[in-house]
Amino acid sequence: MATQDTTRDRQPGDAQQPDRAESGDGRGRLRRAITLLIGGVLVVRGLRRRSLRGLVMALAGGVVLGRALGVSPSRSDSESATPMGAGESTEVTRSITIGEPAQDLYEAWRDPETMSKIMGHFADVQPQSEDRLQWTVQGPRGWDASWETRIVDEQPGESIVWRSPADAMVPNEGEVRFSDAPGDRGTEVTLTISFDPPGGSVGSAAARRLDLVPEAIAGKALSRFKSLVESGEIPSLDENPSARGSGDLV
Amino acid sequence: MKALTWHGKEDVRVEDVPRPSLVNPSDAIIEVTATAICGSDLHLYHDRVPSMQKGDILGHEPMGEVVEVGSDVETLEIGDRVVVPFTISCGACWFCEEELYSLCDNSNPNAELARSMMGHSPAGLYGYSHMMGGYAGSQAEYLRVPYADVGPITIESDLPDEQVLLLSDVFPTGYMAAENADIEADDTVAVWGCGAVGQFAIQSARMLGAERVIAIDRFDERLDMAREHGDAETINYEETDVYDRLMEMTGGRGPDRCIDAVGTDAHGTGVVAASDRVKQRLKLEDDRPYVLREAIKCCRKGGTLSVPGAYVGRVDNLPFGAVMNKGLTIKTGQTHVQRYLEPLLNRIEAGDVDPSFVLTHEAPLEDGPEMYRTFNDKADGCIKTILRP
Ligand SMILES: [Zn+2]
Ligand SMILES: [Zn+2]
Repeated sequence: MATQDTTRDRQPGDAQQPDRAESGDGRGRLRRAITLLIGGVLVVRGLRRRSLRGLVMALAGGVVLGRALGVSPSRSDSESATPMGAGESTEVTRSITIGEPAQDLYEAWRDPETMSKIMGHFADVQPQSEDRLQWTVQGPRGWDASWETRIVDEQPGESIVWRSPADAMVPNEGEVRFSDAPGDRGTEVTLTISFDPPGGSVGSAAARRLDLVPEAIAGKALSRFKSLVESGEIPSLDENPSARGSGDLV
Repeated sequence: MKALTWHGKEDVRVEDVPRPSLVNPSDAIIEVTATAICGSDLHLYHDRVPSMQKGDILGHEPMGEVVEVGSDVETLEIGDRVVVPFTISCGACWFCEEELYSLCDNSNPNAELARSMMGHSPAGLYGYSHMMGGYAGSQAEYLRVPYADVGPITIESDLPDEQVLLLSDVFPTGYMAAENADIEADDTVAVWGCGAVGQFAIQSARMLGAERVIAIDRFDERLDMAREHGDAETINYEETDVYDRLMEMTGGRGPDRCIDAVGTDAHGTGVVAASDRVKQRLKLEDDRPYVLREAIKCCRKGGTLSVPGAYVGRVDNLPFGAVMNKGLTIKTGQTHVQRYLEPLLNRIEAGDVDPSFVLTHEAPLEDGPEMYRTFNDKADGCIKTILRP
């Protein structure tokens, strides 16, 4: 699987924006709560499933939580030099090569059923209309995070862009691009997911450090999409037997 | 059902576990009639492979009878007698289409984990850690076989299990090792390790036209087998310095093709081997590349080094300067088993090869833990064991 990824922090607009998140205004607190929620969701879901996949999820969630709570070291010196709460968003881009024509992949991606299958590891995805999807992440004690996305731009056979409303509980946007791979290799599919995109609310220091979560979502979603369209199924460890029981258990 | 499970270093047990069931539409379930213990299972037994979990079912060399098929399965029917390759391959991705089955893009459910450790994920395997897919192994009464149209080969003839079972791994693995060695007429091929894979590498080197084969091991019964069944010359590395002896045997040129059929648990002698053992225990090194180093040193300039032996992580002190300056070619990889099933089955059916010569032990599954111990200790001349669930 030819993949590459780049994770980068983006600084929309003026880097001198006032530090609203840290000054504790209502929205900053909300965003912090959501960061904690997502971190917590990943940890709880990961641990509850007791799977290795879950373990990875829990780890990612743990890092998010740790960052939100200020207990984990920042990733690099250059990053820790960035002013906290400067209103950046984090985006992740991952690519995968799939042995099918771009047009077919575009149509498959556009099918809400495909979305619900390939995002199933992370969220429940329900179609609302031709262009709108409702995403729900189940949290602990019935505490759900839910948001809607709408397709805001698409070029058939080439790209699809979707975005949540700016005031969504978890402001985010995504883009998938399809381009021909060399020779008989099919199509290069590039997925970009970003949380707290420019124009959205100003994120807290914690929220801008959400990068690990989109990375996990993007990587898994792409490989599940590839498996589904190439082989007709997503590889699964459901009901996998071990002395621990039946299922993807650790 | 009963299954042999892993619980840590030198701790395997036979336990009751849930029976597998059909999950995806291309799955089949087989009732396992015979399954072998592999040299690479000993890497798990020594706790050398990361991402194992207590309770995992081991085993990846099975055959059996098809008892359930998913709705998309076309080539198998209930009652078919099949040998199942240890590589799980989707048959649809670019790698599968190129017949690079062990590099399948789609069969590893834990691909992200493998990617984080290796850069890319290879195919899923049965019973060989979560990084390699997490699929339950075959040392059990039943096995779930994903992509059932791509892996299993149906045995139509009435050849006994003993003659066809080893198509699941070690015969194709030895064959691919010899193929990877790029053997030409008049070549001398040296094979380190005379376990089952080494024995088949020796046989296959002969089939592919090697002039001479030199087998290297420390156990007399293995060297005897190599002489008797592979017409090999032999070196016992505990009695002789391998480099000196090989140079003597090849007029100082070194063997043209070298095959490392040992892998990560190389035994080795002397100070460097001892230091590898210490480093591995301290987790400073994942593998003990003793054979790899020796093969690089011995190989003829411009020769080929083929590595079927399993490695799992980092190696230390690999003389890469020698690889470069001697212009060596290194070829390796998990076996693309599906590619070899039919041609090698044809050879067995034609009577060219009878793979059962490597089988030294047979036991019921319940005796699995004892057989692992016997195999690990190389006791009782143990080279290859069949378990009967
Ligand atoms: Zn094996
Ligand atoms: Zn494949």
